[in-house]
Amino acid sequence: MFLALREMNRARLRFGLLICAVGLLVFLILTQQAIEGGLVRGFVGALRQQSAPVLVYSVDGQRTLQGSVIEPGLEAKIRAVGGVAEAGWIGQSTFTVRVDGGAESDAALIGYQHSGLGDPSELSSGRRPVGPTEAVGSAADFTVGSRVGIVTSGPSGATAPAFTVVGLVKDAQIQVTPTLFVPWAGYEAAVKAANPDATTVLPSVIAARPAPGVGDTELVRRINAASPDADALTRSQAARDTPGVAQVQQSFQLIFVLYGLVVPLVTGLFFLIITFQKASALTLLRAIGARSGALVRSLLIQVALVVGGGIVIGVLLFSPLTLIQFGAISIRFDPGSVLAWSAGLLLLGVAGALVAARRVLAIDPLEATTGGGGL
Amino acid sequence: MRLAVREMRRRPGRFAIATVILTLIAVLLMFLGGLLDGLVASSTGAFRAQRANLLVYSGNSRNSLERSRIEPDVRHQVESVPGVKRVGGLGSVQLGGRIPGRGARDLVPIVLFGYELAPLGLPSTPPGVGTVYADDSLRAKNVGVGTTIHLGPSRSAVTVVGFVSDTRYSGQGTLWGSVETWRQVLNANRPDARAGPGVVQALVVQGALPGGSRLAERIDRATDEATTTLTITEAINALPGVSQQRTVFNQIIGVTVVIAIIVVALFFALLTVERTALYGVLKAIGASSRSLFAGVVLQAVVVALIASLVGIIASLVLDALIPAGTIPFVATPARLLSSAVVLVVAAVVGCAFSLRRVLRVDPAAAIGGTP
Repeated sequence: MFLALREMNRARLRFGLLICAVGLLVFLILTQQAIEGGLVRGFVGALRQQSAPVLVYSVDGQRTLQGSVIEPGLEAKIRAVGGVAEAGWIGQSTFTVRVDGGAESDAALIGYQHSGLGDPSELSSGRRPVGPTEAVGSAADFTVGSRVGIVTSGPSGATAPAFTVVGLVKDAQIQVTPTLFVPWAGYEAAVKAANPDATTVLPSVIAARPAPGVGDTELVRRINAASPDADALTRSQAARDTPGVAQVQQSFQLIFVLYGLVVPLVTGLFFLIITFQKASALTLLRAIGARSGALVRSLLIQVALVVGGGIVIGVLLFSPLTLIQFGAISIRFDPGSVLAWSAGLLLLGVAGALVAARRVLAIDPLEATTGGGGL
Repeated sequence: MRLAVREMRRRPGRFAIATVILTLIAVLLMFLGGLLDGLVASSTGAFRAQRANLLVYSGNSRNSLERSRIEPDVRHQVESVPGVKRVGGLGSVQLGGRIPGRGARDLVPIVLFGYELAPLGLPSTPPGVGTVYADDSLRAKNVGVGTTIHLGPSRSAVTVVGFVSDTRYSGQGTLWGSVETWRQVLNANRPDARAGPGVVQALVVQGALPGGSRLAERIDRATDEATTTLTITEAINALPGVSQQRTVFNQIIGVTVVIAIIVVALFFALLTVERTALYGVLKAIGASSRSLFAGVVLQAVVVALIASLVGIIASLVLDALIPAGTIPFVATPARLLSSAVVLVVAAVVGCAFSLRRVLRVDPAAAIGGTP
């Protein structure tokens, strides 16, 4: 222990550089993990937070709210399925809005027909809408009392609705856009104001609740069997299978694997070279009675200190990022994820140094008497 | 210099680990860059293909094609602006496509564009109503010339009469037909997004004068700000997510390059420490600090070049192996070469940290036998 610390103290530059490199890698991994989480929450958070246990898209919608349109014929077939206790409309569109009379910005509106079928499951503050121009907003983007006006051009501008945010819900964006949950009448008014040519406002999906004794998965199976044009999904399936989510996760996983390989290789290379350089000294130490176990312990202490120091630097660099909003993406400090990565990287770092440890164990004290000592 | 090359040839193992780490970093750089290029290419092809200076959206659309609506009277105002040479309408709708030979639930996400001014690769006169040109990427989805695709819940039929390259939009394959085809399909399938007679989503403008920004200002003034006019480059950057993706990926790439610099600095610093005695002897027999450092730089460049080469091969293999429609990765020569150049520069910068140590080596110490 004493030897390990003395050596690190004497070669501060080289150990400092390695700690910085590991720190940067940890920072990158944690940042990208947080971006991945923020992106997925931003893409499909609203689907996870809405209250309907089953969502029925049209097959044509390709599992996107904006792409899906439920025509009356398909809706009738869905409602007629045995096991559907309750069904209601959900619509979604993105609009140009002004929040509290400010600059123009984007907002996604999710319109729901019945409370408990498409509105948020739980509010983080405020209350639920009671009128068509009241809304629950995504907590990261709105405050209770915000006035959100739909911006239109031309003669419809005078009749464009404005919504008052009366409640908030956490992690409830859709398509990485500030999101409002509004009653159907308000949603319909917004669509017609934005496009005067719109003749009918059809739902994007049908929200369904299973009857007692029928599970969500069973209801999904029955609805899909009832019509080839219906694409029923449970709430979690709808979030997971939204186009783009799987690709985002796959891409980030590949990046994590590559970074995960770099950490043990950098650490391993460093300690291997150090061990080569110290070969004569280590041989001498063995010759005067130092046990190989003690030398390996000293090496592993250095590895733990280097990787641990890197983790501390990485976490310190990453922490301030969680206070910043990256556009519509919120970066979150997830202690569980940070701990998991820290433990994983420490293990990888130690694994990377095993080659160096093997070299230390292979030192023959006799070499000291023959003038050898190379590894 | 020759000594440096000889050392690498005789003791390649010494450089193996650094090469492996740099190779991983090269793969990371190229993968991140390829991912960015793939994402951007699949989102922007339809706009990059436009043979025009400007794209005109309605003023309240926030530069979103889907939300923009240009009425016929606004179009007339744009057409009458001095400097405007030709104006064409543009419309889009994203729908599921039913392609023969695929399952009833196996639809392909497709964006149908209606155009008047032909983008690159398309004939100047749009095809007749009900016929379209398809983006090359749709070939992988079983689409060929003569294929009839049924779009949307109304099963609007369009028949493919040819192909066009690199026109994907929003990550999806595209079809290109007349504005009338687009209007019919849109109105049949999306009653909430109907377009009335003469209404288009945007205008594509060819200007008589080079340089679009002043003409853009004139157009927006002429329409009393009922329009927002962008150059094609601005319109591409305004597409949802494009600039954000570029910023995030470039920052990640930047930090990865810094790590590459640190790895090279670390490796060559240690190598130089190890060779201090040798450098002392070489200096004592007349070698200059310059030639010794040139040897270090050469070794760093060779290591970086080998890493880049392996990285390029790995990226090309990845490009070939990744199934279409999963990870949006493309390995372009420009990206691979620029990543290699960045890595070589990082290696030179990294090994430059050893310069001070090489300069400090005292030949007298070597003669005196002190390492």
